Amino acid sequence: MALKLDTYSGGRRSSAAAHIRSALLGALGLAVAAGGMTAGLPQKAEAAAPEACAALQAKYPALKGKTLVNAINPHTPGYETIDPKDPTNYIGFDIDLGEAIGECLGFKLTYKPVTFASLLTTLQAGQADIVISDIYATKDRAKAADFITYLKVFDGVLVAKGNPKGISGINSSLCGTVAAENTGYVEVPLIQALEAECKAAGKPAPEIQLYDNNANCIQAILAGRADTYINDVNTVDGAVKAYPDKLEKATAVTLPYSVGIAVPRNNLAFRDAVMAALVEIQKSGLQAELMKKWNLPAEQLETPKLVLAD
Amino acid sequence: MDLFLHYLSMPYLLDGVGYTLLITVLGLAGGLVMGVVLAAMQLSRFRALSVVARGYSIIFRGTPLILQMVFCYNALPLIGIKLSAIAAAGLALALNEAPFIAEILRSNVLGVERGQVSAGQALGMTPAAIMRRVIAPQAIRSMVPALGNEAVSALKNSSLASVVAVQELTLRSTQLASATFDFFSVFFASGLIYLVLTGAIAVIQIVVETLLDLDRPPPREQFRRALRVLRPGRPASAPDAADKTADGPLEEISADPLPPASPKSALARPDRDARARRLAGNNVAVEVKELRKSYGRQTVLDGIELDVRAGEVVALLGPSGSGKSTLLRCINRLEGWEDGTIRVGGRFLGNDEGGRALSPRATAQMRASVGVGMVFQQFNLFGHLTARENIAGPLRWVQGLSRLDADRRAQELLERVGLAHRADALPRHLSGGQQQRVAIARAVAPGPSVLLLDEPTSALDPELVGEVLEVIRRLAIEDGLAMVISTHQLRFAGEVADRIVFLAGGSIVEEGPAERMLTQPRHPLTARFLSTMTAE
Repeated sequence: MALKLDTYSGGRRSSAAAHIRSALLGALGLAVAAGGMTAGLPQKAEAAAPEACAALQAKYPALKGKTLVNAINPHTPGYETIDPKDPTNYIGFDIDLGEAIGECLGFKLTYKPVTFASLLTTLQAGQADIVISDIYATKDRAKAADFITYLKVFDGVLVAKGNPKGISGINSSLCGTVAAENTGYVEVPLIQALEAECKAAGKPAPEIQLYDNNANCIQAILAGRADTYINDVNTVDGAVKAYPDKLEKATAVTLPYSVGIAVPRNNLAFRDAVMAALVEIQKSGLQAELMKKWNLPAEQLETPKLVLAD
Repeated sequence: MDLFLHYLSMPYLLDGVGYTLLITVLGLAGGLVMGVVLAAMQLSRFRALSVVARGYSIIFRGTPLILQMVFCYNALPLIGIKLSAIAAAGLALALNEAPFIAEILRSNVLGVERGQVSAGQALGMTPAAIMRRVIAPQAIRSMVPALGNEAVSALKNSSLASVVAVQELTLRSTQLASATFDFFSVFFASGLIYLVLTGAIAVIQIVVETLLDLDRPPPREQFRRALRVLRPGRPASAPDAADKTADGPLEEISADPLPPASPKSALARPDRDARARRLAGNNVAVEVKELRKSYGRQTVLDGIELDVRAGEVVALLGPSGSGKSTLLRCINRLEGWEDGTIRVGGRFLGNDEGGRALSPRATAQMRASVGVGMVFQQFNLFGHLTARENIAGPLRWVQGLSRLDADRRAQELLERVGLAHRADALPRHLSGGQQQRVAIARAVAPGPSVLLLDEPTSALDPELVGEVLEVIRRLAIEDGLAMVISTHQLRFAGEVADRIVFLAGGSIVEEGPAERMLTQPRHPLTARFLSTMTAE
């Protein structure tokens, strides 16, 4: 169950609602007991500076010993997927980073796998406490959650082998092509914005197919339904590695965004705690180490900053 | 292929099956409970309830399940109800299944012949007893295939729980595909797992259908039939059909004669005048005054006045649509009317002393205590019960007899109507004449003071009419209960009835002693009707 930090665990729930809830939960307790089907055991990460973390735990005692829920879209190899060798575990850079933050602040994490588009709604509904899932911190998204950034964004342009449509980035080369994207990705409005440019050049606008995970986008190119999939460069590299005969990375582009950790908007104490822990993790060199472990280029590292709604 | 087998047996996916089944069971069980409530509301005689139920159905049948899942998971927390993912998904599936299941329940309840409901009412069964004893057992049998369908669709729909992070089979498959890039092996494996699950539901459905089959042969015969079904090229139904005709009504017709008549009824025609004088001194059993009834603008009964004395046999004659059946149905309050009064045994059936209408339940109890039996044109036997149970059941449920007493009484009556050897037969395996004889036995079983017979032989083949009329004739002579019979059998009416009442256009045109009515009708309409009937 999600941790309710004091600032947003209100007393406004009626006892009737609590009743219904506990009745339903009772029914489900049975299921969990029967299954042994728990998801995502925490992975061990190297600790950040012990003294600094001890100080943070003293400063934010509410978090200590808690188990928080991390909503993820586990379809992003390198960042977050299930472990093919032990599918009850999640693995990836984001997973390790989250565990490191948890370790520093003294809480544990469980994982809730959702579609990319529902990451923030899950957080807003209180069904998760934090989102660390390769999500770009944009002003738009900041209306739903506060973001603490930790990586710069490099996108790769995934195309079929030989790049038959000659796609060279998010530019007029996309006119008349079909791009596969996930619902809610920041690339979607960027590609849509090309319409005017294409029209001016007398070409048809790019078409966008919306899916809800990376695997589907990659399959769309393999099946010839889409010409390109533009997404995080590491994801694109992973796909090329999996299908070296069929796919290639046409190019890499930089986007004016950062990857961020999303936390609830109304819980400043929690946000401050996570940010402080992230700073410590970067200071101790742990983040760089984890990036190396997951083959992320070192220059992607970004000093934490807040992205908030205006 | 190796990968496919690897995924097929992967504990991670098999655990996912556990969640899939859990959501399905939650959805079906919740849907069934809510469906029963919704169906009851829609079938209720209170309009407001059925409007609410219909409104619910429109909303939850008309919106996609995936939205309902997301709603239960993400929107309910905003009003303080934070369900776990499994509870939210189970709730959404239940909310979604409920209107579909309600429609299955409702259509199967309505699918039970209305005549059987009338028969239950006429026997004095309360609405709840009719639902439990007559409608539910038959409706449940006929709804199994549709519920099987619904179970399969719920199982497949449970895959949508993946959108609210339930670790069920589909979600686990997509995660696995994303992590391994083994798109096809993973999805073929999970597809096969789904197929096994839905196949299991199909097997359960077949087993349940077989267990509920009223014609279920003994186990050994069943085994042979199963073998026949499994062997291709031979239609399984052919021997089945042959069985039925061999066992069917045709050869039975002459095989079940009535027992010899009692000396009383074997006597020559009693002195009609003496009988008429004796009857005139009896109490009034049925008293109809100024009865008026219409369906919309059409008047069906227009000021009927009729007294029937205890022990008197009255035949209602008249062309189709003259109001004979309606009058009979009014007498035991199977139908209401606009104006006038009817008293049976001195009591207003269906009204309290102050003239206010009683609830259906209270009316049923009154019907039983006043003692009005009814025999219908279409027999209206309870289709799922044997001949014996058709008679014994109502005695237990309404009159509260013990099983032993009820069975004894049923056996005795079956002997009287010459069908003791068919006691264990289902109505559908009896000829029309046999069914009507059972129906008559059922109607007289509680010992009513008045028996209403609504064209008891009209639905019978000509060669079967005689046996039924003979049963009625004996009842009239031996039991001395008041009878009102609507019929087209002139000779029978003349022989059995003390009095004939001729109806046309909802009014009594003429009435009088049976013999006189048939031989010297006074009203031209009666004369014309009689001459057409004899000409046929």
